[in-house]
Amino acid sequence: MSVLSAIIIGVLMGIVFGFALEKSRVFEPGMIVGQMQMRNFIMLKIFLTAVVTGLIVIGLMHGFFGGKLHPKALMYGADIIGGLVLGGAITLAGACPGTVFAQIGAGYKDSWLVLIGGLAGALTFSYLEPTLKPILLSGGPGKLTLDAVLGVPFWIPAFGLAAVLIALLVMLEKWRPWRNDLGQDHDGLRS
Amino acid sequence: MKLSDKSWSPYVTGVLIGLLQIPAFLLINTALGTSSSYVTVAGTLAALVDPGVAQIDYVAKHLSGAKNWWQVATVVGIAIGAFISSRLSGTVRSGISPIWSKALNTSSLTARMLLAFVSGFLLLLGARIADGCTSGHGISGIAQLAMSSFLTIACMFAGGMIVALFLRKI
Repeated sequence: MSVLSAIIIGVLMGIVFGFALEKSRVFEPGMIVGQMQMRNFIMLKIFLTAVVTGLIVIGLMHGFFGGKLHPKALMYGADIIGGLVLGGAITLAGACPGTVFAQIGAGYKDSWLVLIGGLAGALTFSYLEPTLKPILLSGGPGKLTLDAVLGVPFWIPAFGLAAVLIALLVMLEKWRPWRNDLGQDHDGLRS
Repeated sequence: MKLSDKSWSPYVTGVLIGLLQIPAFLLINTALGTSSSYVTVAGTLAALVDPGVAQIDYVAKHLSGAKNWWQVATVVGIAIGAFISSRLSGTVRSGISPIWSKALNTSSLTARMLLAFVSGFLLLLGARIADGCTSGHGISGIAQLAMSSFLTIACMFAGGMIVALFLRKI
């Protein structure tokens, strides 16, 4: 595929992504901080719903039509340290690397600083990567997936996990209807 | 559910995002992700002042090719989509979210701006160390049953919840 057609597809997919992030309100810092304080569950709901949908479509594409998977390699140190730093930063930024762009589109001004900081962070990592590679970013069992660990066809744990997550979402919604978490101005701030 | 609504159900929007895996897999031969686009853009900009940066294998891998620029286009599209949606519903935001003065216990704009930069820095440092973020590891990695993503996302929520203890309740 040419770079130009990839860019056109990217912009179109991004518009749908950004539209969904804005309409769901999950791009609001109040939803992110609220979720991390376990006072607001919109982030978890949209996250798990996207995962369930992905499990089903990838389960079909990979399990029945031979589509290729793109899992990331398991590296214990990097996944644990990187995950912890990423999570802490998500709380302080009130955003994920993707939702920063939805905040910018919707008009939040501090998000530009998050974006600039993010570019600086990505560049710093790039310069450090050759040094970090032998100590943190190598070794490990490689691109391991749960179906391989269990020794079963992909679709079984994929559809199984999807079913478990759907049950969890149903209970979560019964316990806390999503509309109650919106806040008066749809920004997750309780009045 | 109208385009002019201020909010849609997280289940509808979650399905919409999950369905984006179909064009990502079938057209681009990759899974949905956002954080490596920062390497592509930062690397491209840095190469203007330090051509040596393009010699780093990790950066070189991110500088060219359809997949890398597809992801850059996706994040630009996210901003456009959110811009359109917020204008259609009249929820255009300005300044900073009102939660910050509550969570940080200060109404200082400088404090928030400083924290925004530092947290953005750590956001991408962490995402690049883990090789993915909420999209790449979370939405895509877990949907591919990747063991690395189960571990990273568990740590991500743990890190987020620990840091949230130091903020005031919103």
